Amino acid sequence: MSFSVLLRRWERRSVKLAAAVGGVVALSAVIALADSSATKAATKHIGGSVTVWAEWTGPEQQSFEAAITPFETQTGIKVNYAGKPSGTMDSATETAVKGGKPPDVAILPDPGTLRILAADHALTPVGPIIGKESKNYAASWNTLASVKGKQYGVWFKAANKNTIWYNPAEFAAAGITSLPTTWTGLLADATTIKAAGIAPFSLCTDVGWPVADLWQNLYLKSAGPTDYDKLAAHQIPWTSPTVTTAFNLLADLVGTPSDLLGGTSGALSSTYPGCVDKVFPAPGSLPQAAMVIEADFVVNEINSNSSNYTPGLKGTGGATCTADASKTPCYDFFAFPYPSASDSTYASALQGAGDVATLTKSTPQSRAFIKYLASPEGGAIWAHLGGFTSPNKGVPLSAYPDPVTRADAKELVDAKGFVFSLDDLQGSWEPDLWADMLSVVKTPTAANIAAVEQTMQAQATAAGIK
Amino acid sequence: MPMTAATPEITRFGGLHRAPGRRRRNLASLAFLAPAAIWLLVVVVYPCFATIRYSFYDESASRFVGLANYKAVFSTDAILVAFRNNIIWVLVFPFLVTVIGLMLAVLSERIRWGTAFKTIIVMPVVFSATASALVWRTIFDLNPHVGVVNALEQTASDFVRPPGPYPVDANLGQSLAGLASTGVRPDGHGSLVSISTVNAGHTVELGLIGVSPQTLALLGARTARAPTAAPGVIDGLVWRDFSPSHPGARGRVYPDEDGLADLQVSLLRTGGSAVATTTTRPDGQFKFANIGPGSFRVQIDAQNFTSSFGGTFWLGSSSVTPTSGLSQTAQALLSVPLIDIAMIVAYLWMWAGFAMVIIAAGLSSLNREVLEAARIDGASEWQVLKRVTTPMLAPVLAVVFVTMVINVLKVFDIILNMAPGSSQAAASTLAFSMYTHGFEGGIHSGLASAIAVILFASVVPAMAWNLKRIRGQM
Repeated sequence: MSFSVLLRRWERRSVKLAAAVGGVVALSAVIALADSSATKAATKHIGGSVTVWAEWTGPEQQSFEAAITPFETQTGIKVNYAGKPSGTMDSATETAVKGGKPPDVAILPDPGTLRILAADHALTPVGPIIGKESKNYAASWNTLASVKGKQYGVWFKAANKNTIWYNPAEFAAAGITSLPTTWTGLLADATTIKAAGIAPFSLCTDVGWPVADLWQNLYLKSAGPTDYDKLAAHQIPWTSPTVTTAFNLLADLVGTPSDLLGGTSGALSSTYPGCVDKVFPAPGSLPQAAMVIEADFVVNEINSNSSNYTPGLKGTGGATCTADASKTPCYDFFAFPYPSASDSTYASALQGAGDVATLTKSTPQSRAFIKYLASPEGGAIWAHLGGFTSPNKGVPLSAYPDPVTRADAKELVDAKGFVFSLDDLQGSWEPDLWADMLSVVKTPTAANIAAVEQTMQAQATAAGIK
Repeated sequence: MPMTAATPEITRFGGLHRAPGRRRRNLASLAFLAPAAIWLLVVVVYPCFATIRYSFYDESASRFVGLANYKAVFSTDAILVAFRNNIIWVLVFPFLVTVIGLMLAVLSERIRWGTAFKTIIVMPVVFSATASALVWRTIFDLNPHVGVVNALEQTASDFVRPPGPYPVDANLGQSLAGLASTGVRPDGHGSLVSISTVNAGHTVELGLIGVSPQTLALLGARTARAPTAAPGVIDGLVWRDFSPSHPGARGRVYPDEDGLADLQVSLLRTGGSAVATTTTRPDGQFKFANIGPGSFRVQIDAQNFTSSFGGTFWLGSSSVTPTSGLSQTAQALLSVPLIDIAMIVAYLWMWAGFAMVIIAAGLSSLNREVLEAARIDGASEWQVLKRVTTPMLAPVLAVVFVTMVINVLKVFDIILNMAPGSSQAAASTLAFSMYTHGFEGGIHSGLASAIAVILFASVVPAMAWNLKRIRGQM
């Protein structure tokens, strides 16, 4: 190994070290800021411990633990955190509750389990405990955590699914200077991108949930949040014309295989997060497509795949970004466009997901903890560390590390109608719903859409969604 | 053994009497058996009965629903697909693996280094099934740069039809019409032809779109320059009719547009016959000189657009059997997706070694004199195999066959690991369907339990046969 290689390695490490040191310094500044702020959630010394379960492991667990450090120092309560593997939180909590050994606080990845547990009287209402902290959230967030008028949970972390991520360099290569706001505008831009010899979309449709996310955006933006919630509760049949409209909008996209990287079979064999890497590749390869349609967790994948990417500056990013992943590539997003034919007020409706903290066992420690989670303090810390957006209005936008995350968080907080991912509210037929969505991607014909709607209606009825 | 040990004995005096020593020994054996018995009770017997009970309850196991779950199993298309796949597996796999195992066993006896050969064939049996499935997923990958099967197909295809510099791949949704922008249209035979005619002393400009910047860089394309007319000559240009500074404008040559290099263009008489052929320069220009009077059209030849073979979606759900026009249920029952074939091939690789070892063991205990006698009587090797070896091995072959029937009835891991998500619904089997309904996404423990019970019931005949055989041997 040559000396220059060693030197370069050492340099890289020292850069990382410097970044880490800088991060710690900045973090302590944020903690100090949070400490000095008037909204101190828990200042009384209580002592004891609280058991907390959530689905955050690895780097997310570290960030969460950093976010709750002030709580531990202020109250003297020791937080015993157990990170559950992805996808197991719901069943683990339900089993633990049935077995009579629940954690004190369970942070659930969807409101479905919250509803089941609340109906079984396994949860303590949090409304009286958090008090005025509930004003930190838009009404739709609190409603989403409520059963029969009682609030049972606090949304700590949220994901924004109202996003389409694009490589600004590819948009520049295709000469696109203003971002699309309507669905037809997006498809017109796709045609331009195609004319420039670039594949417009890298879909992640090897599995069904990314199509469901996409379709749900189309339904929300074409039928509106009221109908969306009705469909989620199956008060509107899946054979309704509003459903057909949304499927037809989806067919506008997937029915043009040349808009999809690799055509239809390419899309059907493209996995998440591989689809993200095709738009934001690691050094050594060039982008294969211009856009990827998924939620804001795409950023985590961009950064874990290559450390070279910088967040674009909304709208102007194209000027400084290059397609060359080894130079100065960047990423950016625009809000999911609304179909121009529909009511443009639905433009600010937003589909998302999130993690909701519930009181599975009421103790002085767990009550103090839930109140802390409802306050902006912890969220501000994690926001600063990155990879996090909060629905909490009290978390200052300045806490977010870059303009893209800030814009992302602003969308979440400002959303006029917030709806939860519909598929996650469908209980036992969710996997069938995903398969049905994929069927439309495979065969986006009117006949198949009609057949799929019939199937979905039968499945939703059989599953007894209420 | 414990059963016989517990039976009372008739003593010498004709009365029933338990030997005191025996009782103590019975107690001792009971004490030794108890842990295992309790263990079996807790982890086998209780779950069996609990599963049967759950199969009559609703999705959260709280309300009795009678036979509703069983009705749902037989009326849900997605689960009927699982039944169909199980039937395909049972019909195809045990037979093939037994035949291949027999062939490998017989052949391995004939070659030198037989043990080494056997070791290599047996290796996949000890590999992790997950790892094997992932390896085969890569082998069958759609992308010819990743999957070796498609790489072979591509090599063969490219040999027959060499790809052109500007491939248009219908599988990717691309078309010649999508490429034509200014002055050209598809001729319906794979070429692009100029819309207007041109005479000597004039110029022609042909614009194409959809050409990637990478292709241009690869071909060393330079900035396009509009041709100038010269007497007796047709001067032309083929250029990338897309300008990043004027993304919507077509038909004009802008300074940030490149010529399309290395295109083969032909000059056609109005009748359609080619008079001359040339190749475009890096700036996209071409020239036809000494052509005489008359009107011509310029053709951009088909071979420019020949696409490389894009790969067969072996892991996809497209059916080998025709299914168009069938109802959803009929499709579920009658289609044979490509992924099934890919998985069965992979599974054969994983289990052929096992079949070979069992059959080879049977083979080594055969009476060689019978085989010798057959050979002396003039039977060919094939006849010996067919008429002597195979019938004599029948009991061993049956064991392999039945074991493999049981094995594929509960086939699961290969689907989870080899089928991409978009094909898992088409590749599903009962065991997989049980898993998805029981543990993935929304949980329906009742339906999953009903599938488990049906799966169990379908394994029972094969198990019973196996048990009976084992008893018969003892």
